[in-house]
Amino acid sequence: MRRKFCNLMGKSIILFTAFGVVFLMFLMLFHILSESLLAFTEIGIHMFLPDAQWRPVSENPQYGLMPVIAGTLYVSGLAVSAAMVFGIGCAVFLSFYVPKQIAKVLLSFIELAAGIPSVIFGFIGLTVLVKWFAGHFGMAAGQSVLAASIVLGIMLLPFVVSTCQESIQNARNTYELVALALGFSREMLIVRIILPAISKGIVASAMMAFGRGLGETMAVMMVIGNSPIYPKLLGRAQTLPALTALEMGSIEYGSRHLSVLYAANVILLVILLLTMVCGHLLHRRALQNET
Amino acid sequence: MKRKILSTALIFTMILSAILMLTACGGSSDDSAGSTPAPSETQAETKAPEASESETSSDDNQILFNGSTSLSPVITAIATEFNETYGTWNAYDSSLPEKDIAIYVSAGGSGQGTKAVIDGTTDFGMVARSVKDEEKEAIQDEQEYQVGIDALTLAVNPENPVTGVLDDLSTEQIVALFSGEYATWKDLDSSLPEEEVVVITRDINGGAHEVFQKNIMGDTEVKAEAIQASSMGELVQNIIDNQWAVGYASYGVANQNEGKVIPLKVNGVAPVEENILDGSYIIQRPLLLVGSGDLTPQQQAFIDVILSKEGQATVEEMGFIPVK
Repeated sequence: MRRKFCNLMGKSIILFTAFGVVFLMFLMLFHILSESLLAFTEIGIHMFLPDAQWRPVSENPQYGLMPVIAGTLYVSGLAVSAAMVFGIGCAVFLSFYVPKQIAKVLLSFIELAAGIPSVIFGFIGLTVLVKWFAGHFGMAAGQSVLAASIVLGIMLLPFVVSTCQESIQNARNTYELVALALGFSREMLIVRIILPAISKGIVASAMMAFGRGLGETMAVMMVIGNSPIYPKLLGRAQTLPALTALEMGSIEYGSRHLSVLYAANVILLVILLLTMVCGHLLHRRALQNET
Repeated sequence: MKRKILSTALIFTMILSAILMLTACGGSSDDSAGSTPAPSETQAETKAPEASESETSSDDNQILFNGSTSLSPVITAIATEFNETYGTWNAYDSSLPEKDIAIYVSAGGSGQGTKAVIDGTTDFGMVARSVKDEEKEAIQDEQEYQVGIDALTLAVNPENPVTGVLDDLSTEQIVALFSGEYATWKDLDSSLPEEEVVVITRDINGGAHEVFQKNIMGDTEVKAEAIQASSMGELVQNIIDNQWAVGYASYGVANQNEGKVIPLKVNGVAPVEENILDGSYIIQRPLLLVGSGDLTPQQQAFIDVILSKEGQATVEEMGFIPVK
């Protein structure tokens, strides 16, 4: 009797918490959508015209989001590419060339870097990277897409290294002994067998890193210059989360400008959702392939 | 035996979490009911302690401030010190009642400050600009008390050769620099090198930019390539790091970084305290408290404190120019 009661009680509480979390997520989504409604109905397609500028407080306000969306994708894409090259290299090195015990310690240090507050990365970027760029690239100002990508790439590294390392371990368990028995050298094994086997896993991990990069706010805001123009590698740009963080604070409540910022975040959510879904699907496929 | 302990523990945690959840739900439903209009939320929040204090109407013993984010740290600092020194009103002035001093400050921008005064949800609106005519009309018996002045200095890097050529910019030159009409420093003066003018601004919908736009730029837009800094500190850091940068640093922050950034004269007037006070330096804004009708004795007392020597010293400490 008592046990039954316990079970029932436990089940209902678990259900309640589960639905609570889902409900909260939907509530937030609903809030963002309802706040952005004004922008979509009153400005609509004008937000997405390629030659519309971002001039929210001018006499004739323009709310062109395209330069900012392009900037967001550019910075994240570049950051992920850089992070993947170094991340895969690092993961291979840790798995094959370092004794297991030391690799474990090194890996936990790398993962520790994920916990550093992003404002620290931003500040280092601003005082070191941006300054150095201005001095060495003949640029008028160091704030640039490249600087932001490097900072963001470094921030993504821990995530990339740990997911790639996991993929390599899986593939290794399956193929290593067979390959060695066939007389493959270690380098052959890595290049010919392990890397092709984890290629899907790599793509999945890149997708998920891209998703994380899209949402990074503070560090990017400090080094990108926050100019809402179309991005160039050595030019300034703006990203959706940085734009929101920069302008949200001093906006009049209920204004059209605020609504457009919410709309910008709806766009960000859609992009995020697409990459996350693709990433997860690929990741599941990859795990099946590797084992 | 072990089972039994486990199951009791389980039941205990369940009950605990159930209680937690119920209270959380109660809280959230309460919240959603109260937060529909934004101003009433702050009021509900500020009135809570009063209810627990005493049942007599202590309305007169609490003062509410709402408005500018630039001014709110100043008022908060003065209020905190005032409260810590005296505690109750009669300790400050024996003719006042023996009630706890309660001063609440909430920030949300100058516009919100005047709106709250119009709606009657606050005693004083903190406004970091001059009050607009339509706002003056909407407020019944509008009263203004000036707390201080905020000024923006036009600052450049000390290594910029412009400091050796010019120490003064006219409004037209500033507009040309910030709008992108002068793309390089050479356009400003032919003896200067052909380096891009790196314009640094605060976020363009914030209060600081509003002052700059109104007093200097007029209808001209700042160029889209301008770097927007998310705080005054970041803006000044950018000027320190970049030889070719120009930006508007607030008077207080520019003084803190004396030597690392060079403030220029505007239309021949240097950004020093006396020029700002007599109004000849134009990139400035008043810091005002806007109220409606006559002051209660308590309000009068606190305004006196703000305008006292100590209060004005706090204004100066926060990087603004005191009026007295």
